[in-house]
Amino acid sequence: MRSRWVIRAFVLALGILQACAHYPTNTPLESYHPEGGYRFDGLRPGPGNTDTIFLCLAFSGGGTRAAALAYGVLQELRDTTITAHGTSRGLLQEVDCISSVSGGSFTAAYFALFRDRIFQEFEPRFLRRDIQGQLLGQVLNPANWFRLMSPYFNRIDLAAELYDATVFNGARYLDLVGGLRPFIALNATNVELGSRVEFTQDQFDFLGSDLKEYPLARAVAASSAFPILLSPLSLKNHPSPPGYEVPASVSNALNDAATNPRRYSWAKQLMTYQDKVLHPYLHLLDGGLADNIGLRAVADAYTRGFIRRRINNGAIGTLAVIVVNARTDPPESIDMRESPPHLPTVAMKTAMVSMENFSFETVEFMRGLAGDRVQAQRDVAACQRLLDTRCPGLPRLATFPAEINLHVVEVNFERLKDPREREFFLSLPTSFALSDRQIDCLIAAGRRLLRASSDYQALLTELGGRLREDAERAVEFPSGGCRASQ
Amino acid sequence: MEYLVVRFPRSRRVKIDGEFNGRTGELIELEAGTYTISLGAPPNFTPARQQVVLKDTSALNPKEVVFDEV
Repeated sequence: MRSRWVIRAFVLALGILQACAHYPTNTPLESYHPEGGYRFDGLRPGPGNTDTIFLCLAFSGGGTRAAALAYGVLQELRDTTITAHGTSRGLLQEVDCISSVSGGSFTAAYFALFRDRIFQEFEPRFLRRDIQGQLLGQVLNPANWFRLMSPYFNRIDLAAELYDATVFNGARYLDLVGGLRPFIALNATNVELGSRVEFTQDQFDFLGSDLKEYPLARAVAASSAFPILLSPLSLKNHPSPPGYEVPASVSNALNDAATNPRRYSWAKQLMTYQDKVLHPYLHLLDGGLADNIGLRAVADAYTRGFIRRRINNGAIGTLAVIVVNARTDPPESIDMRESPPHLPTVAMKTAMVSMENFSFETVEFMRGLAGDRVQAQRDVAACQRLLDTRCPGLPRLATFPAEINLHVVEVNFERLKDPREREFFLSLPTSFALSDRQIDCLIAAGRRLLRASSDYQALLTELGGRLREDAERAVEFPSGGCRASQ
Repeated sequence: MEYLVVRFPRSRRVKIDGEFNGRTGELIELEAGTYTISLGAPPNFTPARQQVVLKDTSALNPKEVVFDEV
């Protein structure tokens, strides 16, 4: 009888202790170093990276579907060689940056952390695992019930623990600092502001926080915290360290409300985090809410960030952006019913619609930026030719430090020619548990769609690219095919 | 995008908002907005920095900013 009471008391005490559970807090920044921490300029190009060929990838959201499609694209880049500076090298080694949201963040983070090991490990460790079932198992495990009763520990923290233990081996951003490219920007969405938050030191400077000690698994969890199904992930907005100054680019941009509302909005959102009284914390959901194809970070780097500086410093000869968009378009029946949809359907549609709305616009915006640059180069060259012919004595026009060739490549299921294959992929669910056949289909589709892209073929022509012979059949779909049933 | 040319008697790296971003005499491409322009070392130029607003420029008609040697 007495021992039973002892056990009950022990369980109760354990429960009370567990109910004090708290999510791991991001560490404060002790001193400000504008060039330290996880930033693009702190990474080295690596032995196989020419530096003048600048390749960025954008991985969209879409659960395991997006992760597998992005993984297929990485395989295709691995099996493609180019000729640059007189030597042959793998195109994958030219990848300089990856921006990602949601499911795509698993692939991006795994590749940045483990590099070529991704091709041996990623399928069994992530793509072919029932992550969703394991997450549910964590939530249903009585050992976690008391922890989940704490207001400071939520389902997303359980997810982050699972990813940390089973996918990312406890890796911190410290494991990436000072290493080789690619630089990764894992993107989440600030629930209050609705704005993009990226896990880079440039962003964390505004939070007075040091990203080095932060687990990659938590960044990936924030990036893939699908609304309603998962809870937001929380960060503390620490006081700025001594000596911190808001970058001049941000303070100048605050004058641009009329001149450039886009730049002004970017600066204003960052400056929100300087208000430590009204915003002592921030809560993050899936990055897809702000940008479901992960391209905004690349567009920002092009207009005002590390890509812009490299272009103006004449360091880039070829700039290619490959957008891997796992967007689907499953058949709907909402319009078939007289009665309005129920709350769960409305909630899910609300989350999904906002995720899809800006994807098309962002790709077109990036294409427009590339087109503007090409046109400006042509205008200057044509005008100089005219001046040389008609007015040979005049001073020469100012020219760009380097002519650059730009390529924007988009991989998406709409580009599949076979209608039944297209329907198969456009109907795949957003889930963290897909069948082996679905995974096989997605990997092959990533390779096939990239290879078939005319924009990608133009890039390969420019770079003297060719496919490894033994990889030619890798685009074939598995036996049984990847087609919707009639 | 907007276009800027920074003039100085010698070739010198250009600092825009405190970061190296192009060289004197070359076209510098930036988004529209307000910028603080300066030059790299040695500090033998005047003024020390200039604030400009880039708007309605083109690659053929860029905004020109001039620094004198001292």
